[in-house]
Amino acid sequence: MARDADVPQQIQTDAKIVVKGITSVFHLKKTRTTPAGEFIALNDINLEVRKGEFLVLVGPSGCGKSTLLDILAGLAHPTSGGVYIDGKKVTGPALDRGIVLQGYALFPWRTVRQNVEFGLEIKKVPKQERAAISDNFIHLVGLDGFADRFPHELSGGMKQRVAIARALAYDPEVLLMDEPFAAVDAQTRESLQDELLRIWEATGKTILFVTHSIEEAVFLGDRVAVLTPNPGTLREIVKIDLPRPRHNSDTRSSAEFGWIRRKIWELLQNAPSDARPHPNAVPVADAISPTAAL
Amino acid sequence: MPTRNIVSPWSLSRWLDRSSILLFFAVWEVAPRCGGLLETFIAPPSVVLITLWELLLSGELYGHVAISLGRAISGFTGAALIALPLGFLLGGNFTTFERIVTPVLRFLGQVNPFSLFPLFILIFGISELSKDAMIFWVCIWPILFNTITGVKGIDPLLVKSARSMGTRLLPLFFNVILPAASPGIFTGLKMGAGSAFFMLIAAEMIGASRGLGWLVWNAQINFQIPKLFAATVVISVLGMILNTLLVTVERHLLGWRDSSPHH
Amino acid sequence: MSQAGYMNNYLLRSSGVLLFLTLWETAPRLAWLDPYFVPPLSVVVAEIGLLLGTGDLPIHLLVSSWRGVTGLFLALLIALPLGVILGRWLTGLADALDPLLRVLSQVNPFALLPLFLLFFGIGETAKVAVVTWVTLWPILFYTITATRTVDPLQIKSAAALGVTRSQMLCKVILPAAVPTIFIGIRIGASLTFFILIAAEMLGAGSGLGWLVHNSAMNYLIPRIYAGATFIILLGFLLNRFLLYLEKSLFAWQEYPASWTTAGEIRPYVWRPGKGAAIAGAATLSVILILGACEVRKLNQEAMAGAGGSSGHAKHFGTPVESGSGGF
Repeated sequence: MARDADVPQQIQTDAKIVVKGITSVFHLKKTRTTPAGEFIALNDINLEVRKGEFLVLVGPSGCGKSTLLDILAGLAHPTSGGVYIDGKKVTGPALDRGIVLQGYALFPWRTVRQNVEFGLEIKKVPKQERAAISDNFIHLVGLDGFADRFPHELSGGMKQRVAIARALAYDPEVLLMDEPFAAVDAQTRESLQDELLRIWEATGKTILFVTHSIEEAVFLGDRVAVLTPNPGTLREIVKIDLPRPRHNSDTRSSAEFGWIRRKIWELLQNAPSDARPHPNAVPVADAISPTAAL
Repeated sequence: MPTRNIVSPWSLSRWLDRSSILLFFAVWEVAPRCGGLLETFIAPPSVVLITLWELLLSGELYGHVAISLGRAISGFTGAALIALPLGFLLGGNFTTFERIVTPVLRFLGQVNPFSLFPLFILIFGISELSKDAMIFWVCIWPILFNTITGVKGIDPLLVKSARSMGTRLLPLFFNVILPAASPGIFTGLKMGAGSAFFMLIAAEMIGASRGLGWLVWNAQINFQIPKLFAATVVISVLGMILNTLLVTVERHLLGWRDSSPHH
Repeated sequence: MSQAGYMNNYLLRSSGVLLFLTLWETAPRLAWLDPYFVPPLSVVVAEIGLLLGTGDLPIHLLVSSWRGVTGLFLALLIALPLGVILGRWLTGLADALDPLLRVLSQVNPFALLPLFLLFFGIGETAKVAVVTWVTLWPILFYTITATRTVDPLQIKSAAALGVTRSQMLCKVILPAAVPTIFIGIRIGASLTFFILIAAEMLGAGSGLGWLVHNSAMNYLIPRIYAGATFIILLGFLLNRFLLYLEKSLFAWQEYPASWTTAGEIRPYVWRPGKGAAIAGAATLSVILILGACEVRKLNQEAMAGAGGSSGHAKHFGTPVESGSGGF
């Protein structure tokens, strides 16, 4: 905030999202056991996301990936640097970005339909239009017939679909997703991933997806940005050349999938600071497909 | 200082935490001195303290406090003596009977005690008995319900394992059932004691010629403002002491329950 | 549970009540109890009917309701905004004030009744003020807690849409806090009912508490029972109604674990619509308006009857003032 003046309000770019030199430092208060200090959550992150791209941020907990997403959403301010959407600097939250959080964050006093219409109410869309739009998105996430249920009457996977529909309903160009599938069981998770890809292809949104699961990152993304902790640094951006459309069963069993997964795993393991690789670790991909490594 | 977590009750930080209370007393002290209506209707704390001291010296305060506490204790003890055995019987032995009488008891427990007070006076006269009956009535329900719930909530496995070790009936009661039900019982006793004091003051206002409730009421009628404030303060302080006492006793008696981390 | 089993359970549970009522009727009639001191149930019911017929009971009910509702409204008016401000914005001030508020809320409200009478006189203001005082604390504490503990994820997901402060308040914080606030209102309302009856016994010329008190002083024994029974029933129904309202208004809240067992069909819950809301608001306004008129009329009559004497509340044993006996 203090150095806002150094950051231009507008830049020339073709990319949808530009993350430019983001550094985020938290000041730690003095406690009984630790002196006052600084914690560098993000250290000079630079990133560009094309329009319509599916970019995944992957990293262990504490690597600052959620902080980066909060900065993108406008909920937090970087210590220095800036985020640009369509070349315009992000100054606060707005309806051009939709956000899906890990814990669903549905409003329990609103039905599925009312939850989906929340952003439209904020946008002051007339009631009739709202109903048509929410019908459309409830259908898109496959929840026809559940429009008048309350969140507590839905399963975890269904709740997450509502959260996605809610984020899509007010037609943001960018969808920010913070570990959205972390709370659901493995099977539901895979079907939600398939669903998300289908929705992405149907709507053509730019998606920025945060996860700590390498598998999820490789399966979903066009590119995977690998973040390492202490301080949060962008280590490498891995391009995923798996063919689309992807389906969980086929894609996951392919040799390339295993190979890319191993590569990201090694990137994370060989992180320079605290993160130590397991001494006897055998790269999983080698066991699956020795030839793929060649 | 042995541990850093324990803050002495007289330490500065503790007083800073209570600064709003100090501020309240300061405003109370200053406001009546600004004159006007406030001067006629509000006695500042310094005057209240002096009045309290006079009441103490003359022995008047002692008499009223003793009478009020006596009533509260006799009503409470009577209620506990009846409600505890009854609760154990209903909760433990006669469960079908318990299901039949519970709706009646629940209903009686929700009865507004003030609507019954004239009846108590009618039946027992204006004697001590009518006040005792009121306190008894107010106390018995929370003690009874919580005892029943406490006894019913005992893990059957506890009883079973004690039985399998050949425990006889009386040791079983004192070593297993009573300790296991004690949290519920204590909740009931606490609620009973709290409402006893609460209701006692009102009962003494409505129909008594001694006691703290009467003292405050009488002071109002006779426009003795400092006395009125003094009596109100005594009642409030007694209530808070009672509350703190109950919480402390509970913490000491039921310390074993506090194995969960503090919030 | 099967239908028959449910019926059986119901019969078992109501048998106790029936037994109690039967005993009440027969014991005085068979002279097990002195029928002068304990009139049988039928006599009490007849007395209630009589009081209802002459219009006495409805008037006192209206007056008591007016005092209760007015006090409750005033408490809401003070405690709700204050609670939201302390819970959401001035959290530091809330922490600083907390000890004082706790101490004040622990003060026995009956002990304050004489103070209120002193400040506001024996008119309606003192009674309404007592009710307000008593109701204020639970509403305030529950509002502070409720607005403080709104799920931060919900706040975050709304903040991500760039909602304004007022939208955040109306669309997120208040709806999330309302069920908890309602618990405070329910507790306040039951306390009100307690204290109002006591206050009316101590210093009033009308109201349900006065009705019972006055009957007691005139040894109208069936009328004491009638008034007491009516108050008891009213309190019971009020409590039940508020619990029911709470359940139906906040049906969106998650049910306790027993309800969510898989496959079990959730019992139908009535969800109040616009009609019910209008009916509720209309009832409250009728109580407020008619009650205000009635209270004014009664107080004017009392003034005229008492000839301006400062008639403070009477104790047992003091002669009964007959001026307002006719009401």
